[in-house]
Amino acid sequence: MDYDQNLYLTFLEKMYLIRRFEQKVYEFAERGLVFGSTHLEVGEEATAVGTLLNIKRSDYMIATHRGHGQELLKGTDVNAMMAEMIGKATGICGGRVGSMHVTDASVNNLGAQGIIGASFPISVGVGLALNLLGQKDKILISFFGDGATNQGNFYESLNMADIWKVPVFFVCVNNLYGMGTAYCSTCNIEIYKKATFFNIKSDYCDGNDVAAVYNKSKEIIDYVRTKRLPALLELKTYRTIGHSAFDKHPYRTKEEIEDWKKKDPIKRTEDILLKNGTPKEKIDKLKKRIDTTVDDAAAFAAQSPYPVYDDSLEQ
Amino acid sequence: MREITYSEALREAIRSAMAKDDKVIMIGEEIGQGYAGVFGVSKGLYDEFGPKRIIDTPIAENSIMGAAIGASLLGFKPIVEVMFADFIAVCFDGILNQAAKVRFMSNGQYSLNLVVRLPGGEGSGTGPHHSQCLESLFMAIPGLKIANPSNPYDAKGLMSSAIYANDPVLFFEHKKLYKTKGDVPQEDYAIPFGKAGIARAGKDITIVAHSYMVSVALAAADELYEKHNIDAEVIDPKTLVPLDMQTIAESVKKTSRLAVVEETYLRAGVGSEIGSIVSERYMDWLDCPIKKIASRNVPIPMPASLVGEVIPDKKRVVKEIREMF
Ligand SMILES: Cc1ncc(C[n+]2csc(CCOP(=O)(O)OP(=O)(O)O)c2C)c(N)n1
Ligand SMILES: [Mg+2]
Repeated sequence: MDYDQNLYLTFLEKMYLIRRFEQKVYEFAERGLVFGSTHLEVGEEATAVGTLLNIKRSDYMIATHRGHGQELLKGTDVNAMMAEMIGKATGICGGRVGSMHVTDASVNNLGAQGIIGASFPISVGVGLALNLLGQKDKILISFFGDGATNQGNFYESLNMADIWKVPVFFVCVNNLYGMGTAYCSTCNIEIYKKATFFNIKSDYCDGNDVAAVYNKSKEIIDYVRTKRLPALLELKTYRTIGHSAFDKHPYRTKEEIEDWKKKDPIKRTEDILLKNGTPKEKIDKLKKRIDTTVDDAAAFAAQSPYPVYDDSLEQ
Repeated sequence: MREITYSEALREAIRSAMAKDDKVIMIGEEIGQGYAGVFGVSKGLYDEFGPKRIIDTPIAENSIMGAAIGASLLGFKPIVEVMFADFIAVCFDGILNQAAKVRFMSNGQYSLNLVVRLPGGEGSGTGPHHSQCLESLFMAIPGLKIANPSNPYDAKGLMSSAIYANDPVLFFEHKKLYKTKGDVPQEDYAIPFGKAGIARAGKDITIVAHSYMVSVALAAADELYEKHNIDAEVIDPKTLVPLDMQTIAESVKKTSRLAVVEETYLRAGVGSEIGSIVSERYMDWLDCPIKKIASRNVPIPMPASLVGEVIPDKKRVVKEIREMF
């Protein structure tokens, strides 16, 4: 692919938005305003950006418990996202559920999972419904982590996805760990290979190289969209922060973390822009704009009221 | 006496059983290496007993439960940690159709020593997938026992019994209790299943509460006594199956009033069961209708402004009990 400055500026803008958003959520968490736990995507921004820039608003999405970037990129309003993080009534789900469970029907985000593995069969069902409805213009992008692929329903769902020929793009954000457990200590098979057992098109790439993720996704999404078949992409990446906001992650070495920080997807993209002649001022201006967007969202969230209970919630 | 936390008390019971009996093993996610127990219960046990006794697993609750059943059939006494009680849904067949039915279906040729540890309850904003109290759901299944300690002393004693219960035990713990402290003897002891405790003696009303709600009921009882001249008796069943109806009945006979306070959902809850037994057998003793004070029929929300309305707290317990007088 030829170098395209505008595309790289978009990569930077979107990844930087996620980074700043996550930093703000962390600040809220430190102040005790995020009620339960929150799982941040710091270091993994390229996985959401590279894939979702190829996805249409009309396509469906299922996100993970570590899904703020996925949800923002699918198109959810930043203010409504931020308000949900701290349980405010103006949040995208009325502040009821918070960080882990963002759903936004207006952009066909079907929801994020707190139950690891539950998304696989649901994804097959969405694909089935698209087939039955004859909606040949839409697909589902379904995110999950490395740890989730050890759940039994992963295999059941791959099999059904294959025999039912569902238009589902399975995207594994492989950050090498599920909580404090290294993937390699839980399974001897690489994730992308698991799908090949079911004759599903499957591939992997460097999840910290946003252009690589973008190009690979573009090709696979074309395949899913036109052939109406499932496919899987494994993105190798790393969360440079803890599993949840207050996890001090002692189960990883400092060296490992520092090594991965050197592969930071945002820094990498900035370096490419600078090397290809984009003026630093332009980059700074772009960042400033995002800073303002996120600060405004935080102010909006902070000023919003908490939801009020009423009996109609009873079921 | 020595004070330790609820989670230390659980660990002491497990550790002592493991030291004496090499058939006692633990199976679960993040229990040995990694987090070494998300709520710290298994802390240090991996270093002491090693990977053959403290068995870390992939994220695969259905197979964790099945594997524990299999090992139990061959004489092991597995203690499964389900990281959050909500995830028991992922191993439901193992519980409902397998573990619960082994003794009956084999005509007693096999029975299981199997403890399933379930950290339940709302934990200050843990939301709909990580907060539920599900005890009442499982009370309906023949073949299971259900323990629900409300304090460190009971946690240790009930765990010691659970490991040798000779039936699968769902051991419901509570997130808000792990760090609470209480007197716990150093030596081993077992608390029998099916024997309720009287957490507070009183004469005007019987309040049955279990797990974390015992402390809520006790706080409410203090306020009722100090401000409203109502002297409540608080009964802690300690195990919901088997359920000590005799202690509850004796109390109701004395007080003529019954309220059941629980964090479980209101519909078909613990209160529904206890209430129906009391009204069936002891209707004549009652001066007023039985009161069920439970989590409203709503998935557990995240923000405090909603949680406070859904899950019973001291204020609601006091208010609802005052309405009975
Ligand atoms: C059924 C179930 N089991 C366990 C958990 C607890 N849990 C939450 S996140 C997580 C790790 C998931 O790892 P992975 O799929 O790799 O996603 P990551 O957190 O690394 O993004 C675990 C075990 C859960 N939420 N649901
Ligand atoms: Mg992971």
